[in-house]
Amino acid sequence: MKTFEEKWTAWLDDQLTGSELSQFEASLPDKAAAEAEKAGSKKLGELLKRELSAQPLANEEFFSHQLRERIIQETREPVRQSTGETATYRWWTVPRLLWVGAASLAIFVVFTLGVMHEKNPAEESQYLTQILNARVDPVVSPNATVSIFEVKQDRVTVLWTEGLQSLPADYAAK
Amino acid sequence: MIQTEATLAQSDVSELDLVKRCQAGDTEAFDALVTRYRTRVFGMIYNMVHSEQDAWDLAQDSFLKAWKSIGRFRGQSSFYTWIYRIVMNVTIDWLRKKQVKGGGTEFDDAIQLTQVDPASRTVPKTEALPHKAMERDEIRVRIEKAIAQLSPEHRAVILMKEIDDMQYHEIAEALGCSIGTVMSRLFYARKKLQNLLRDVYENV
Repeated sequence: MKTFEEKWTAWLDDQLTGSELSQFEASLPDKAAAEAEKAGSKKLGELLKRELSAQPLANEEFFSHQLRERIIQETREPVRQSTGETATYRWWTVPRLLWVGAASLAIFVVFTLGVMHEKNPAEESQYLTQILNARVDPVVSPNATVSIFEVKQDRVTVLWTEGLQSLPADYAAK
Repeated sequence: MIQTEATLAQSDVSELDLVKRCQAGDTEAFDALVTRYRTRVFGMIYNMVHSEQDAWDLAQDSFLKAWKSIGRFRGQSSFYTWIYRIVMNVTIDWLRKKQVKGGGTEFDDAIQLTQVDPASRTVPKTEALPHKAMERDEIRVRIEKAIAQLSPEHRAVILMKEIDDMQYHEIAEALGCSIGTVMSRLFYARKKLQNLLRDVYENV
């Protein structure tokens, strides 16, 4: 089902025929006005054709030359791009991918084991003992030993000294 | 001029052969197609944008796009209709972008006749202008101004129909819309131009 606009356009362009034409013309309320409109439309078409159709392309050969240059330029660029892509693609061969994958897995395993080992204090002694010798003068107290016992779980630290003649003057337990 | 170019090229080699050679990467064949259609394409774009420089650039872009996508041309329509579709896409896109940048008054179809400056009447009933050339220039300016008030889609249909004598189905194919839409757009474009240019075509 054509709309009025479609029928009107077809009528202006003499594209309506037969019963469609007669039905449309019968439906027009003012046939004389419609005919005048049609004549005006023809004149408009002629005016547009006469005034607008003669727009020459200046420098036609230069137009084609410029286009050829652009096409050559455009053709080269994708070649360059595809060459780069091929080089990248070639580096990632299947054996290389396998080697890289295996190496990555090995590094991951070593790193994971190392971290797990550090984080597992259960295997260590419950008491962490540090022997401090730095502050004991071996001349003054040759048999002196200072030990620290630390229970991390209970947050307890015990300082154990033996064989000291006297505490160093500058010693201060903090 | 256009017909001469086309006729000469057609006598040398058929369009389909040229297209096939283009699809095989033959730039000379594409050059032949460009030679055949460059004037018509340029003229159509010029009538859409009313600027020689812009028309040149858009025609270049259209042909370049055609070259890039020539592999997708299946020969279901004529090459001219196919390239017209590219031309229209490129030009309408450009006009839309320009409209957005420029504030969008140019294609306002809602502009009424009362907003047209009465002083812009250029077709005197008496001999006010000394030279016919000047008169024609002014008529042309008047027509261009009237066309500039149409939306890009309305411009496209009226120009393809009236200037290039294209059939409804060819216009529909070139614009990627239905024949009904083409006819409807023609209806409104003609109404608008008749209102704007009645004094011109009645008096010339």
